[in-house]
Amino acid sequence: MRDISRLSKEEQNILQIIKTVIDPEVAVNIVDLGLIYEINHNEENKHIHILMTLSARGCPVGDTILQHVETAVRAFWTDYEVEVELTWEPQWTPEMITDDGKLALG
Amino acid sequence: MSAAGLSTKNAPSPLVVLPHYIVGAIAFIVASVLLFFAAEDLSLSYVGPHILSIVHILILGWVSMIIFGALYQLIPVVMEIKLYSEILAYISFISLALGTVMMTLGFWESYVSPTFLKHTGGTFVIIAVLFFVYNVLMSARKTKNKTIENKFIVTSAFWLLATVLFGLFMLLNISYGWVAKSSIDLLKVHLLMGMLGWFMLLIIGVSSTLMPMFFIAHQLNKKCLERSYLLINIGLVIGLFLLYFFPNISWISLFGLPIVIGLISFFRYNLEAYKKRLRKKLDIGMKLSVFAFVIFILALILGMLTLISADVFPIFNSSIYLAFGASLLFGFFTILILGQMYKTLPFIVWLQKYQDKVGKFTIPLPNDLYSEKVANAHYYTVFTAIISLVIGLLISQEIVIQIASIFFVITGVLYAYNTFMIVFHKENAVPIKKPEIKK
Repeated sequence: MRDISRLSKEEQNILQIIKTVIDPEVAVNIVDLGLIYEINHNEENKHIHILMTLSARGCPVGDTILQHVETAVRAFWTDYEVEVELTWEPQWTPEMITDDGKLALG
Repeated sequence: MSAAGLSTKNAPSPLVVLPHYIVGAIAFIVASVLLFFAAEDLSLSYVGPHILSIVHILILGWVSMIIFGALYQLIPVVMEIKLYSEILAYISFISLALGTVMMTLGFWESYVSPTFLKHTGGTFVIIAVLFFVYNVLMSARKTKNKTIENKFIVTSAFWLLATVLFGLFMLLNISYGWVAKSSIDLLKVHLLMGMLGWFMLLIIGVSSTLMPMFFIAHQLNKKCLERSYLLINIGLVIGLFLLYFFPNISWISLFGLPIVIGLISFFRYNLEAYKKRLRKKLDIGMKLSVFAFVIFILALILGMLTLISADVFPIFNSSIYLAFGASLLFGFFTILILGQMYKTLPFIVWLQKYQDKVGKFTIPLPNDLYSEKVANAHYYTVFTAIISLVIGLLISQEIVIQIASIFFVITGVLYAYNTFMIVFHKENAVPIKKPEIKK
């Protein structure tokens, strides 16, 4: 889990697109916030599965962020079924924020 | 998408929430203007004419109004449930607005004798509160989140109900003379229930949820909050019992000791969140909120003085009580609301306008919906206002209180400007140009 460093080329492309999704509250992209746990790209089944979390349960903009991820990815992988799954396991902790994310938070 | 733990789908229609923010902003300006004209009375005593009028418009029209509206939005967030009824929320809103206007006018024209305006206004307020409390309790029943923060919110709703029922009892008692007690003694009971039981517990519950969330602070010691809950409620029950049955014994105010310790405990929790925060740079909403907590320290000090002032320096007793009340109402509660408006209202409107446009359009961020310059300006005006108000009340100087009120009016107008700018925000979405990516 959370090891999104071993991604295929295509999954890295997906990650780049997800990086355009900004958490509207903190104005930092959700990849740098450490919210993306897994990206699975399946060429054969034309299926993209993204496993992610949110920084707080009941986050007021939570499903907007999830929807944003889905829309952003679907815009480029038009012939794919895009599934964005929300998980609370493991629970997000501030340690998951990348160095870039910490910098952006000030 | 899986939906457990999400709250947008639970959010009520913005039409339920937004009118509360609009009426609240107007009430705050009216209260500030009234403060100017009541400055002379405020420099004399804490139960003089006009003061009750200001207190009621501030408490009902400003603080309660915004809290009701914000809670309809926040309850789904905090408790992960849907609001029980939007219709009840509407009725409660209209009733509260009507009741506030009537009670404010009623207390302005006469602060002792019972009048039609006060009785009818009081009845409207009771209806508003009953519907609100019923809505909160029915919603809370469904939640699986039995956290200490939620306990504060639910308990505060009970105290609110007790406060308004007791308020009505006071008004009717003047007409019918059911119990032979002085209005001042009964007023103290009413005040204690309202200020600490309702507002303080509610603010503790809501801010202990929101502040760590906005600070991005994790692993906080919730024992502080458990202790705070226990101590404040114990202090309240003892205090109310003593104030009602033995209002004249000396050192009576000492019942406030556990309450003060409870409040310090709550403060420590928020201080820990502030220290452990990942978001070092604070936006204007959080700057105002942090400032509210600085004023909270001032309120705590004045609160501690009220515990002993009647017995140690009785001449200043009235000034200290007034300064304490002002530091809570015009200070902590007001400034926290000013700040938290920027953390809630832009999101409510943003979600309404742009929820379906994320990823497809270039859209503004919630913070782009208001003028930061205006918000920064009222950060300084409210600072000047509250400091001069507390000083003016402590030294009983009419002119200083009037200067404070002018700064409050400016604050109110600037704040209302931003509120209206957010509420009436015009959609501004440009279709996204797809970036080139290697596939």
